[in-house]
Amino acid sequence: MTTEPGPGRGSDAGQGARQDGEPDPYGGVPALALDGVTKRYGAVTALREVDLRIEPGEIVGLLGHNGAGKTTLMSIVAGLLRPDAGSVRVMGVNPVTAPHAARRLLGLAPQELGVYPPLTVHQNLLFFAELAGLRGRTAGRRIEEIAEPLGLTALLGRRVAHLSGGEQRRVHTGMALLHRPPLLLLDEPTAGVDVQTRQQLLELVRDMAAKGTAVCYSTHYLPEVEALDGSVAIVSGGRMVARGPLKKLVRQYGDSAVELTFAGPPPDIPLPWPSSTDGRVLRVAVEQPHLAAPRVLETLGGSAGELVNLRIVHPSLESVFLRVTGRRYDADAEGDADA
Amino acid sequence: MREGTAGRIAALIRHDLRLQMRDPAPLLVRTVMPLLLMGFMQPLFRTALQAENVEGATGAEQAVPGMAVMFTFFLVNLVGFGVFREHGWKTWDRLRAGLARPGEIVAGRVAVPLGVAMLQLAVVFAAGGWLYNLRVRGSWPALVVVGAALALCVVLFGMALVALCRTVAQLAVFANLAALLFAGLGGALTPLSMLPDWASPLAPAVPTYWAMRGFTTVVLDGGGLAAVLTPVAVLLAFSLGFAVLTLAFFRLEHRKISWS
Repeated sequence: MTTEPGPGRGSDAGQGARQDGEPDPYGGVPALALDGVTKRYGAVTALREVDLRIEPGEIVGLLGHNGAGKTTLMSIVAGLLRPDAGSVRVMGVNPVTAPHAARRLLGLAPQELGVYPPLTVHQNLLFFAELAGLRGRTAGRRIEEIAEPLGLTALLGRRVAHLSGGEQRRVHTGMALLHRPPLLLLDEPTAGVDVQTRQQLLELVRDMAAKGTAVCYSTHYLPEVEALDGSVAIVSGGRMVARGPLKKLVRQYGDSAVELTFAGPPPDIPLPWPSSTDGRVLRVAVEQPHLAAPRVLETLGGSAGELVNLRIVHPSLESVFLRVTGRRYDADAEGDADA
Repeated sequence: MREGTAGRIAALIRHDLRLQMRDPAPLLVRTVMPLLLMGFMQPLFRTALQAENVEGATGAEQAVPGMAVMFTFFLVNLVGFGVFREHGWKTWDRLRAGLARPGEIVAGRVAVPLGVAMLQLAVVFAAGGWLYNLRVRGSWPALVVVGAALALCVVLFGMALVALCRTVAQLAVFANLAALLFAGLGGALTPLSMLPDWASPLAPAVPTYWAMRGFTTVVLDGGGLAAVLTPVAVLLAFSLGFAVLTLAFFRLEHRKISWS
């Protein structure tokens, strides 16, 4: 599978262009540029020669199975890990040789919830505002600016330990935003949150991108990436296997198919279309699955008794993912920590 | 100092103070306990001092500094927990990826325990002196200098333990054992004259011995700043040794296992 280099902007609709009319303060420098980044843990290669470019205002959905290397990639960009080879630039700054300058330019909300439970929401946010050099009323205003879109305004006086998981996740995300970084790294920002929090976070990401913030958004939920309508970077086995605007990838790789799920192993049936199996699922690749489905069923013959489900698959991010990685994307099974 | 460094260290200190204020009970207990134990230790020390022909000795001359020194060493836990709790709350990586430089993070983690150690020593000396009739024959500034050197030594010992321990359980057991062992060997629990023969030669190898020597030089012998130069210098040398250990073994990227 060849890697599709990103075009530099999110979607065909022009996602990523600043919508506030402000000139680009960084003079056309990519918000993030990875070239040939490799990272090994002993004998295990977590990332192999990964290239990735994210432009200001672009939202990139970073997808991959557990262990694909998403968190390793984020950690390298944030300066938490050193790459074994390759180069990283955050707004043109190398986080390995100039970590402090690079960290001013990025905000990281790691996958694991990292908040101070004994302190209030305000105190949690205040700490990171103060580290960013904000004091007094300026810090207070910035906290209000961050709290409002995250739905935290009414919770500012509450101890974080007393908040729900979704509310804590919003505080966790807010802590990464206080210094207004031009590059935002969100690693599984909606893991374990309620629907309302998910919507608030997605809205916030869209709003920040519209104002010029580049967002690298790692998630297990493909519909979120589709909802963000940004671009997509798919990592598999430590390699970047697909990269580009969502719509373009769907056009390029999004297969349509009839998927049949059986009670046991799929039967070996003669079909005029290419087919593949994945566990108990038989996937038949066809151009017009709704027309082909009756014929597929006829072909089953006696095996039809074993059939437990039939699904018409239209071109989508899910089918792109299957095509480029060779494995299905099961968000429930991907819930555990990534490498 | 680089631009913004002071502000970020101040932010880290304010943040640590907020966390301490949320749970002040351990600090209060560590301050009240020595005051209570002084009452038990005073008769023993009075007998020992009278046996050494110290005129007008009440026992507070050794009970107050002894308990102050021992409980200052229990603050090693405070230093360690300051780092380990960040790992437990998963905020350590956020700090590392944040705007504070590594040196600033360490300075911020050391500053509050240092202040707490100084404050605890001051309260224990003041309250203990008042409760148990401690008469300081020498110079108060000399007492403060010994206390400051001891506080620095304790905090840097805590950082060295943080560097060497992987789990908070290791830290707790080594910190508490060290506090008791140092107190015993250094003359904080029993008068040095009553130490067993095998222990006496080992006493100078622990910082508590030099802290006790500095305090008793001021309290009992009426010493001034010049008289405490040697104990203070040795305490600073211990501090330097612990700082070197910390620099050699402490890495921000090391994973620490907190209570789970």
